[in-house]
Parts: sequence; C-alpha cells; structure tokens
Amino acid sequence: MASIVLENVTKQFSSGYKALADVSVEFASGSMTFLTGHSGAGKSTFLRLLIGADEPTRGRVLVGGVNISQLSAKRMPWYRRNVGVVFQDHHLLADRSVFENVALPLRIGHFPAKEIAPRVRGALSAVDLLDKEKLLPGFLSTGEQQRVGIARAVVNRPKILLADEPTGNLDPDLSQTIMDLFSQFREIGTTVIIATHDIELVKNMGQPTLKLVAGCLEDPVAAQTKVTEFNL
Amino acid sequence: MSSKKPDSLDPWAKPSGGLINWLKDHGRTFNDTTLYVSQRLASSLFVWFLVGIALALPGILWLAQVNLHAVGEGWQGRAGLTVYFEAGVNPSNIEAVLKDLETMPLVDKTALTTSDQALQDFVAQTSDSLELRNILASLDENPLPASIQITSREGADFIELESLQRQLRAKSQINDVVIEKTWLERLRDITSLLNRLGWILGLLFGLGAIFVTSASVRLAIESRLEELLVLALVGATKGQMRRPFIYFGACYGVGGGVMAVMFLALILNAIEGPLQALLGSYQVPLVVQGFNGQFLLSMLGIGIFLGVIGAWVAVRQRLHSAQFL
Repeated sequence: MASIVLENVTKQFSSGYKALADVSVEFASGSMTFLTGHSGAGKSTFLRLLIGADEPTRGRVLVGGVNISQLSAKRMPWYRRNVGVVFQDHHLLADRSVFENVALPLRIGHFPAKEIAPRVRGALSAVDLLDKEKLLPGFLSTGEQQRVGIARAVVNRPKILLADEPTGNLDPDLSQTIMDLFSQFREIGTTVIIATHDIELVKNMGQPTLKLVAGCLEDPVAAQTKVTEFNL
Repeated sequence: MSSKKPDSLDPWAKPSGGLINWLKDHGRTFNDTTLYVSQRLASSLFVWFLVGIALALPGILWLAQVNLHAVGEGWQGRAGLTVYFEAGVNPSNIEAVLKDLETMPLVDKTALTTSDQALQDFVAQTSDSLELRNILASLDENPLPASIQITSREGADFIELESLQRQLRAKSQINDVVIEKTWLERLRDITSLLNRLGWILGLLFGLGAIFVTSASVRLAIESRLEELLVLALVGATKGQMRRPFIYFGACYGVGGGVMAVMFLALILNAIEGPLQALLGSYQVPLVVQGFNGQFLLSMLGIGIFLGVIGAWVAVRQRLHSAQFL
C-alpha cells in the first residue's frame, strides 16, 4: 500500500494567492484521515496535489516514496490508476450508463472482461445502487450521482482513496454507510483522506482529523502525531 | 511511524500486458467511435461532404490528366503529316513521292489512301445521310484527293516536321501538307498543365481537408472535455485519451473518400455524353482510364491519411493546452 508524505509544501497560484503554506504531514499506509476547514482553507488544493493535478510551488509530495510532482507525463497515469477520487461535483459521463461510469477505471486499467461485471456490481451494491445500473446519470438524484462517483472511486480497490465532500448530498444514514465503506478500505490497507465540512460525521468516525486554516495546518505537531500514530 | 522509504522499488511502474491491452483499447475505441458518429450522422455527413469536395477536385484533375495522356499516347502512333494531292493526280507522281519518303530518315512509315479508297471511306462514314448520298451521286467525278499518311520516327520534334512539310509542299501536284503534331503538342501542354494544376490543387485542398477535419475534431474534443478530465483522473494515458479523436479523423477521412468517389462517379457520368461525342470526332473511343479499384482505394487511403493528420494536429494542440490533462 502507499504512505503519503507532504514535506514543507507550499502552493501559490500565479495570481499570488497562497492556497497552502509550508504544510508538512505524513499519512501512514492504511490510515484514514479527515481534512476539515472552511471553504478556501486549501482542502481541494491539498487533494489536487495528491492526484497530481497540481504541482507544489515549494516542497515535496511523496506517495509510496515517489515524488509525484516529478513523475513524467507517461508515468502519471500508472500512479493515478492506484488513486480513487470522489469529487464534490461527481464528474459522471452523461452519455454512459451507471454501469459504464463505474466500469470506466477498470476498462482504462485493462482489467479482464470477466472481472469487470462482478466488481462493478459489487461496488454498486455497496452504495445501494445495484438496481440502477442501466440508467443514465441524468435520471438519478444528486445523492445517487454522488454514490455512483463513490462506486467508481472504489471499484478498482485503489491504494489511495481521496474524497472531496463525499457525503455532501447524502442523508445521515447513507453518509454513515459510505463512511463505513471507506473504513473497510482502510482496513485492507488503503490510505483514505476525506475532505469534509461534516463535523458530526467526523466525530462519529473517531478517526484523526487535520484542520486547515488559510492554507496552514491548525496544529501541525498535534496533527502529525494523530495521523501517524493513531493508525499504527 | 510510517517510513519515508519507497513502499517498493517503483510502486507506480507501467503495468504489463502492453500489446494485448493496446489492441483491446483499439477495439473499444472503434466501437465507441462508430456509436458516436452514428449518433451524430448529420454533422458527420457535413464533414464528409466537405472532405469529399476537397478530395474530388484534385481527383478529377488527376483523372483528366491520366486520360488526356492516354489519348495523347493513342494519337502518337498516327503523329506526323498527311500529304494531300491535287485531284486527278498522276499515279506516277504519288509513287515518286512515296519513294522519296522511304529514303527520308525522319519518316518511319507511310500509308497511301487513294482517292477511290477515300471515297469509299467517306461513303461508309456518311451512310446514314441521304442528303450526302444524293450529293455524291450527282457529282461527275470523285472530288476527294489521294493522300499519304506519314508517321514520323519516334522523338521527331516540331521543327523537323515543319521542315519536311516545306519540302513536300514544294513538290508538284501536292495540294497541302498538314502536320498532325500540333494537336498532339497542344494536348501534351494541356496534360502537363493539368498535371501541375492537379498537384497544386491537391496540396491546397489536402490542407483544406486537414483543416476541416482538425476543426471538427477540435469541436468533438471541446464537447468531451469533461470526459477527458474523468479519463485523466482514472489513469488514462495520453494515447488512450487521443485515440478516440484519431479514430474520428480516420472516420471523417473514410467518409470523405467515399464522398469524393461518389462525386467523381457523378461527374464522369454527367460528362460521358459530350466527351464521347468529342472523342468520336477524332475516332478515339471513350475508355475512361484511372477510375478503377486502385484509384478508389487510393482516395480512401488519402482520405484516412489526411483525416488522421488533421485529428492528430487538433488533439495534440488541445490536450497540450488543457490543464490537468
């Protein structure tokens, strides 16, 4: 599995806005961490750096010991195939069925054909959408679309699972189900990082939490200790 | 505490199974492209139409050039001069001229048409005209002159033929000497012009086809940016992202090639009648050369090539400029 290390990471945009400032933190393999903070605190930028969608202005992002901002364009896809991402705005393909949306990472990753259907149905079952596999995303509610996005993120059993407000459109019961699903992934060694505003949910889960305030960790030393030691 | 050492030697190395996966990707892309194009047939038809025109114009020039060249080759066997004697020429004069011609290095062969043979030929050619038959019947004597068709040796130029023409005109009882080479030379000039024009137009319209395909593929990319973003996030390689659009380009090219062939068939059908009449007046049968299986395959091949080039240019530019992809 994959540990994640951020070393003195700063991300400053060309406009001069500093989204992250000198952030250092370490996530052990198989840890589950909540990332909280107000809008604009730097949560999304934090996740984008981990996906390889952005590069830090300073510092290093090491995943599995590899500095991912220095990964070549050819190697980046191989890295991303190990990262499941849940987006706040779903990013589903409108002209593909629920089944095909969830199957996308498997097809891109060249999974054997006979493995695709069982895996997709397993993921859809976990988010309680098995009966809607043939529908187009447009026929689903926002919460259901969110769950399709979650199923797609976990279907290939990634080494790292990143989620940006994954329960933002879900009711409390379903939110808990999704969190339990993420916990199951943590138990099999997936490193899970969840950005959320839902403080109640965070408390219920009893997992370590990092709070970002204006691009900085609120209590870097305490956060570091919590994230790395809690999960060992 | 977790370690800062790599979890393995290279946890993000390229997975195995290259060729088989690559072929599977192509199969999937082919199916997706077929579905995508069939769902947008109207806009695809428009692109095919434009690419078809861009291919058909140089295509028709090429066909014209090939056929004029073939006609020229056909005429070359009869190139040279025709000597027309005065009416009632003394046969010994004709014999003398023939003997003279045999000794000339410029002359390859000669063929005599007596005035009687000329009349027979004329009657045969005008047998369906009652008026002409009546006129001929009313004449006291054969008005058609004897003539000698001279075939010049291969490579004889126009100046040499003109010199021979002057020489023969000076002989007695020769009414006129006509050089057939002038038609041939004009034809060759036209063929050469068409050839050059074909290349220039081919180049310009080829570029046009590339731009049309490129613009269409660019539109397809814009409409599928969201999909590209998702593909990038789930680990699609640049090749996997590019491939559907390259297939679009190839599809536009194939469609354009088919359209071009259809346009050419229609054009050839439309001009067949007048062309047959024109060639018939020179006793040259209408046999369209070049419009064969090889030509059709070439049109498709050129279409695919231009389509792929256009798509590749568009995809390379757009993916390069798109952030995160």
